[in-house]
Amino acid sequence: MVDALIKLRLGVHCGCVLVLVLASSKLSGQEINILYIGNTDVPVYFGARQGLLEANAQGEFMGVVYRLIAITDIGGVSVTPVAIIAAVDAARLEQIIEVYPHVPILNTILKDTKLRENCEDALFHIPPSTAMLEDAERQWRQHAPKSKARANTWHRTFRKYAAAQLNIRFMEQSGFEMDNDAWAGWAAMKLLADTIVRRPDLQGFGLVEELKTNLAFDGQKGMDMSFRETGQLRQPLLLIEQDKIVGEAPVRGVVNSEDLDSLGLAFCAK
Amino acid sequence: MYMLKFKVIKVAVIAAVITATFSTFGANLPKRIFVTNEKDNSVSVIDGKTNVVIATIAIGNRPRGIGIAPDLSEVYVAISEDNAIAVFDPNTYEVLRKFDGGHDPEAFAVHPNGNIYISNEDDAKATVLNPENGSKVDEIKVGMEPEGVAVSADGTRVIVTSESTNMLHVIAVPEHKIINNILVGARPRAATFNRAGTIAYATSEISGEVKKVDLSSGTITGRMPLADDRAKPKDVLLNVDESKLFVAGGRANCIFVLDAHTLEIQQSIPVGKRVWGLALSRDGSRLYTTDGASHQVSVIDTALSDVIATVPVGKFPWGLVLYE
Repeated sequence: MVDALIKLRLGVHCGCVLVLVLASSKLSGQEINILYIGNTDVPVYFGARQGLLEANAQGEFMGVVYRLIAITDIGGVSVTPVAIIAAVDAARLEQIIEVYPHVPILNTILKDTKLRENCEDALFHIPPSTAMLEDAERQWRQHAPKSKARANTWHRTFRKYAAAQLNIRFMEQSGFEMDNDAWAGWAAMKLLADTIVRRPDLQGFGLVEELKTNLAFDGQKGMDMSFRETGQLRQPLLLIEQDKIVGEAPVRGVVNSEDLDSLGLAFCAK
Repeated sequence: MYMLKFKVIKVAVIAAVITATFSTFGANLPKRIFVTNEKDNSVSVIDGKTNVVIATIAIGNRPRGIGIAPDLSEVYVAISEDNAIAVFDPNTYEVLRKFDGGHDPEAFAVHPNGNIYISNEDDAKATVLNPENGSKVDEIKVGMEPEGVAVSADGTRVIVTSESTNMLHVIAVPEHKIINNILVGARPRAATFNRAGTIAYATSEISGEVKKVDLSSGTITGRMPLADDRAKPKDVLLNVDESKLFVAGGRANCIFVLDAHTLEIQQSIPVGKRVWGLALSRDGSRLYTTDGASHQVSVIDTALSDVIATVPVGKFPWGLVLYE
């Protein structure tokens, strides 16, 4: 598939903002605009572009076209996005929430547990929180006390659950191997599309609610993922030691391997 | 009134006796059952009368999908790591030839006209192959990670499930045009038609559910989540009178029996671990299952709804076909 790549240069408050509009070459049907805010030379953006390709492969059958509008900072965008994929620091994320209070925002890089504790209504977190990673490592040590394995979202050698297919597709498109950040960018775009394609009429809090209650997505990690009320994506994690996958968390035999809430903060403080 | 009632009972008794006779003496049992063993690079041959493995065929690397020619002259096996389809003789077990099956071939179905419809997982395509010479008849663009393939009894429709696009693609034959795309649960894996070709059933691995689809309107008319969280269902098929649906429950280690009309779960029949493949004898009396992680095939008497034999086969049996 050949992407139409249109570069627009818009003069706005922060100096120069580069807007990239990527869409399927077929521009018929309902158009869905997703905003990407962050650098475009980082793996997370390549991941989101991979997600866009796959979203449009699906959309083509359903008369839906997704556009990923990439900007490095807020401002200068005339369209109201259906959702925002954010790859920015915490301060910028705050600004985005202020500017777009009714739009689902998907954080793709920040791992701070505190952000999850804030329980923002329309804010979703794709990467595991620090607390989730620590819990996964703690579980793993109970299973293998001497192991120095670290918890990760993804690994380039992951094969199960059609992970191999995703790794191949990403490598072919992007020219480098999928890492934690690239997976987060891909997952953000893909889960948005998987939800929107079933309910293209939804926007704003309607879409927020749909993401929270009706997600149908496994992230090529073999388990039914969903969002916690903290906005955190429930997901299994990989234990990596010396660049090899040695295990998966929740760790079977230590906890119930189906219990994704054994990792990190499961609920908002009342 | 009494006479009528008596007649009904009489007919029922005769029917029960006939059923019992068939299930006991196995007049219509398959002659042989061929089973692909994914991690043994082999096909096990089971005698349908004795439920004992009578031969093992060295077939190629990582055999998965298996199908039989409409005239029963040949059996086809997708040997995934050889990127090929192997063809063997169901009587002599001789491997006759191999041909290009595309990259990492897995699931396919054999059309009544003899052609093979295979999903190409990495290429978002379904390919139509002529097994006589392995030539490519056609290619159909489908969603990402296509998996299950089903052919309607009259051959006018093919369904391909695409796992990453969460869709059933309904393809018209011989035009090879997609006439409907139906969104289902996460990671649809397998589908089956009713005999009239008006209804399809599909399993979704991640959402752990079965969906019923009206094919004239392309709408979902029923959905049933399987009771067990570990259920990652795979194969699905109807019984002979189309009143029941059998679903291979994956890690739930059982066969779910659903009412084909309401999708209500009527029963679950415990089998071995990680059950994926299903095949039903033509008379409907026997259901065969591949229990991958138990390295066995279970034989279910459908009248008793119980396992009457388990047959140890090779490592990680994947799929199976019946020669009958």
